[in-house]
Amino acid sequence: MALWITYEMTFYYVILLRLFTNARLLLRCAAMTETDCCVLDEEDFRRCCRLLLQRSEQLRDGWSWEVVQGSDEGYLRKTALRSVPDPQTSTCSSRPKQSKEEPDCASSLVPDSGRGELDEEDDGSCIVSEGSSVVLQYEYHILYSSSYSTPVLYFRAFTLEGRSLTLEEVWSFVHPNFRLCLQNSPLNALSQQEHPLLGQPFFYLHPCRTEEFMKLVLTAAEDKHRPMNYVLLWLSLVGPAVGLDVPLEYCIEPQPSDPE
Amino acid sequence: MADDKDVLRDVWFGRIPTCFTLNPDEATEREAEPYYLLLPRVSYLPLVTDKVKKHFLKVMKAEDVEMWFEYEGTPLKWHYPVGVLFDLHASNTVLPWSITVHFKSFPDQDLLHCPSNSVVEAHFMSSIKEADALKHKSQVINDMQKKDHKQLWMGLQNDKFDQFWAMNRKLMEYSTEEGGFRYIPFRIYQTSSDRPFIQKLFRPVSPEGSAHTLGDLLNEMYPDALTRDGEKKRYQVLIHGIEPLLETPLQWLSEHLSHPDNFLHICVVPAPTD
Repeated sequence: MALWITYEMTFYYVILLRLFTNARLLLRCAAMTETDCCVLDEEDFRRCCRLLLQRSEQLRDGWSWEVVQGSDEGYLRKTALRSVPDPQTSTCSSRPKQSKEEPDCASSLVPDSGRGELDEEDDGSCIVSEGSSVVLQYEYHILYSSSYSTPVLYFRAFTLEGRSLTLEEVWSFVHPNFRLCLQNSPLNALSQQEHPLLGQPFFYLHPCRTEEFMKLVLTAAEDKHRPMNYVLLWLSLVGPAVGLDVPLEYCIEPQPSDPE
Repeated sequence: MADDKDVLRDVWFGRIPTCFTLNPDEATEREAEPYYLLLPRVSYLPLVTDKVKKHFLKVMKAEDVEMWFEYEGTPLKWHYPVGVLFDLHASNTVLPWSITVHFKSFPDQDLLHCPSNSVVEAHFMSSIKEADALKHKSQVINDMQKKDHKQLWMGLQNDKFDQFWAMNRKLMEYSTEEGGFRYIPFRIYQTSSDRPFIQKLFRPVSPEGSAHTLGDLLNEMYPDALTRDGEKKRYQVLIHGIEPLLETPLQWLSEHLSHPDNFLHICVVPAPTD
């Protein structure tokens, strides 16, 4: 039990550290809104998305709002090209063998023995020979989960020839540092799931612990009376695991000439 | 609750007679005989089709490849319970249910991959967790131990009613003063649009304190499914193959007619014209 707590706390510490080092400005973003507490209702989600879209338009960052035909629901969507080490030539370690019987979040909080060692050895770099990278097309969707009152990141990935990536391939392109986090942390496992609005297979990051880790981050920010955008903050924490970085420009005040 | 235990049994032991036929385009060494099975409504296709796979692989040239199923041109989503697939796509047709078996050309755009039963387990537990997030803010499922989770899964996998319900009844508890769950975990399926299902927040009790019914839910989520006065009936509302009265309290339905994943799966299908 003690181990469980220590490990989880370490993870939170890492998250908080990231928050305060690279996202200090994020909290001051002009396009931010007050969140009363740590629960995100659907209306807040929409408002956060609208603000994110406004900034994305200014930055030409490619986010759009997609409406589902015949309903009032929708989601944020963005596509991006991502260059990853060619698995044929790279010696980047692939996904650690799954020893868990239950590959979702329930069992993912207890670290396997020896994980600590692995972490120390792993400096997160892949040894890649010259010019050996492949370009992949990623499509990201941000949806609202009313069950968990959180945003959820869905995505799919294709080769430039249009072939869909398998779950194994997607795991292999998750940065090694994140891979351990995803398998052992409250951020939770990556798996294939039906897109709840489109009915097609997507990959997603399980949301069942999102509220928990967001609570820590949000409380910390709230203590300092900083306004914030829940969706943007959340995205800056979970996105990088699957190649979706939130540019720092999102946190810099727009020019005075920009519309309020 | 005790009086209604028979309902839980009837739901659990619901079966659909099914005939599996190999897709004629598959390369075989000799002709494949059809294979007949009684499929449990509350289970998932990958859990109950080992024998089907063995049967057809005997005549196949191919080695162990991913099997998938299709009914009249529609790939069958293994992550929906068997009974939901039948009600949604094949209700009002002649039995046995005729399913086509494929080993080639896996439809990546339509179906999730299912390389092993642990994927089914993860999906099943994830649904139970989501349902408990709705019912009890995840408190019951988080208070359970790993072996309790295992008991739910093993109960389903091995078709053990008592084993499953000994644990599942905890997920069905609620305080009498609240009069029901926080929200009812439900999904309404239909085939008339690409959208796979409707799932939103809905409370079992109205702000005035009266019990919400199945009719109230449909009125809010999918009013087209209801027949108005003087109108010809256009849709059937099916749960486990039956049409429950629209006056049935939703809380009772959630406790008794939910699938083992703790969701109430409701299918809205066109009424037979005959």
